[in-house]
Amino acid sequence: MSDTTLTLRNRKIKGEAALAYALLAPAVLLMLIFMVYPIFYVFVISLFKTNKLAKIQSFDGFKIYAELLSSKDTWIVIGRSMLWTVLGVTTKTIFGLIIALSLNVKYVGRKISRLLFIVPWASSIPISVMLWQWVVHSEFGLLNHTLRLIGVMNPPVWLGQAGTAFLSCMWVDIWLGIPFMALVFLAAMQAVPQTLYEAAEIDGASRSQKFKYVTLPGIAAILLVATLLSSLWTFNDFNTVYILTKGGPAGSTNILITYVYMNSFEWLKWQKASALSIFTFLILSTVSVLYARIYFKREEM
Amino acid sequence: MDLTKKNRIRITNSFVILLTMALLLLMLFPFFVMLVSMLKTSKEIYHIPPYWLPKHPTLKNFSLVWNTFPLAAFFRNSLIIALGTVALNTFISVPAGYAVARLHFPGKKFILFAFLITQMFSPVVVVISLFKIIIKIHLIDTYLSVIIANAVFTTPFVIWMLNGYFSGIPKGIEDAARIDGCSRVGALLRVILPIAAPGLVTTIIYTFIYGWNDFIFSLSFLQTGNKYPLTMGLYQFVGRFAIQWEQLLAAAFLAILPVLILFFLVEKQLVSGLAGGAVKE
Repeated sequence: MSDTTLTLRNRKIKGEAALAYALLAPAVLLMLIFMVYPIFYVFVISLFKTNKLAKIQSFDGFKIYAELLSSKDTWIVIGRSMLWTVLGVTTKTIFGLIIALSLNVKYVGRKISRLLFIVPWASSIPISVMLWQWVVHSEFGLLNHTLRLIGVMNPPVWLGQAGTAFLSCMWVDIWLGIPFMALVFLAAMQAVPQTLYEAAEIDGASRSQKFKYVTLPGIAAILLVATLLSSLWTFNDFNTVYILTKGGPAGSTNILITYVYMNSFEWLKWQKASALSIFTFLILSTVSVLYARIYFKREEM
Repeated sequence: MDLTKKNRIRITNSFVILLTMALLLLMLFPFFVMLVSMLKTSKEIYHIPPYWLPKHPTLKNFSLVWNTFPLAAFFRNSLIIALGTVALNTFISVPAGYAVARLHFPGKKFILFAFLITQMFSPVVVVISLFKIIIKIHLIDTYLSVIIANAVFTTPFVIWMLNGYFSGIPKGIEDAARIDGCSRVGALLRVILPIAAPGLVTTIIYTFIYGWNDFIFSLSFLQTGNKYPLTMGLYQFVGRFAIQWEQLLAAAFLAILPVLILFFLVEKQLVSGLAGGAVKE
């Protein structure tokens, strides 16, 4: 009796698992063919000499990796990517916090402000980047016009020189990333129980104390998730650099992600680009695993 | 005491409003520039020193850009790519999302974890091999190549979102339907999907926006100009020397508008979906 119910139950569980695998099959196949296999394949390509058409020629072993690791250019680009990511995420976080705090104050028109702050994120990102190209135009752009009006006689040709081009790209990437940060922080702040603020007020806490002892601990968890996510997006921002400068002038604005692309589709050095893809993959996986673990913990709570 | 507190609130509020306005100015500046520039004539936009506002505001740029650029074709191509991405993605993600939310099977955690991680990868990591694969299966220079690539990069996140929506539906409703004689798939189609419809709409809009905004895959896989979506089409014109910015900005405005509206419909769900359980919609 109990035996039959057990086998019945077993069969039901088995049937359920079979159905689950059948339903998952298309998604898993799609990911295996167009994500997992390509990562493996790009590794294979990196082990072979390639011609300009990306055709594999002769086996080369790990030579390209040794070459890349001893090349100064690689380290400059990786270093620039790190600088880009750290400065970008820090600035996005600071702006995000300031905007979230200001949206957390009740006043008439707050909802409209909130909507307006989202616009840069909500617009088509490649096209927003093209808008900036016009804004920073050295002669006709309204940015330099404003600078001239406030007394800067010779405003820079923003995208024409190494330093200012990098700054311009960084600012556009930051500008694109601020809305997400602001929205997440605002949502987290609004989830902090009002009673905590009231209690702090009764204890005579000042505004900055309330921020330090109530708001910050209240949003700490989300701050971590959001900065991790933002690090990945910032590191991955292909559109901004490619559209604004294509990594130029003279490679001075290339970050790893655009460097991979330039090496492949522009300069046709497919083997080198493939090896650089593997570097990128390794960096991204490390951070994503970290993010996924934290996300999982929160989901389970 | 009460009065000083009220005053303090008033002072804070005016400070906050001033700060907000300054920040909004910074965040909206490019859109302000777009709005004023697309109303300028060609002479006005290339005047030195630049004008802030158009002297003779005109909507002529919209008809000009419609006639001189193949803008209608770009719109059509963006629409094909975005809708194609939605179709492929929904077809693949809905069953998968249901499975991870509702069914018990070995390896579930691993699959969810894997989806979460792949969601973070950059298209650039795989674009070289995808390019070679796409050539091999004769899909180079087709919409389908771009659609597949976009579906690959939206599927993990959408499965996660759907997992959340499907899990939120009480199990009792599904059980009741099954007692009434529905099969599992029948219950999914007739009971679960209608209840999860608002969530499904969110993921559909998200996927549409992703497809509409695609740049890198169109850049890599499309070779003939008449297949370019808006992003690529406009980019191609930005690259030209004698570019008419006032017309381009009018086109940019038209390209941004649809996704802007759609985005506002889903932003709250997107934020909570991205940030995990800590932020509620």
